[in-house]
Amino acid sequence: MAINESAILKSELRWTLVVAGIVTIILGAILFAALSMHINPPSNREYVDPKTVHLSSEFTEANLGTSIDPNGRVVGRMITTQFQFIPSCIVVPAETDVTLRFTSPDVIHGLLVTGTNVNTMVVPGYVAQVHTRFTKTGDLLMPCHEYCGLGHSQMLATVKVVPPELFKPDAQGRANCGDYR
Amino acid sequence: MTEPAYPRSRHDYSNDAEELSALESAMDSTPRGAAIVSAIAVGLLLLAWLAIYFGVFLPRGTVG
Repeated sequence: MAINESAILKSELRWTLVVAGIVTIILGAILFAALSMHINPPSNREYVDPKTVHLSSEFTEANLGTSIDPNGRVVGRMITTQFQFIPSCIVVPAETDVTLRFTSPDVIHGLLVTGTNVNTMVVPGYVAQVHTRFTKTGDLLMPCHEYCGLGHSQMLATVKVVPPELFKPDAQGRANCGDYR
Repeated sequence: MTEPAYPRSRHDYSNDAEELSALESAMDSTPRGAAIVSAIAVGLLLLAWLAIYFGVFLPRGTVG
């Protein structure tokens, strides 16, 4: 049976063009989101010594949770450790730019905040940082999504998003979940 | 015992010019059908990606 080589070549070229078109559409959509909506993968490169995290100036116990930084930005700090988030709840205002910072003293953890695009790995030795803006209020579940040991499935926290007018940090610029029940 | 009326393999056509041309014309249209099936499959995949991207991912807001 005769095999029409030119017909095969033609259909392969056509298919290549279709695939190139699809890749262009997807890359275009990603570029559009990155440039016009500031949606990017979190790509912070910042080191911290995992052995002395609890003694570091930033991740001491008293400094964990939500606080207002000197530049006015709302920052939530958490330590992810086997098998809990410390603290287990942070409160943030809706419709406000928020920075979330995490680190781990033991093994690799991961986290996501349900219903949002917040999603990052937390690697010992590094500070994972996510900038975001929550649009809906309520208690959002934040589970560990990287298997970290036998208690992994019990490791979860809550992000309490409150209306911006109700978000009232104390005199030191700190806010706790317990004050927003 | 009589021989079956249908050909047992493709090679049985080789001596029959009419059957051979029928097979060739069938094989000619086969790639078109495969192309249509794969175009539908890839098209649905692209539509699903776009639907999730614009319908779920982007409305969830900024992150970086």
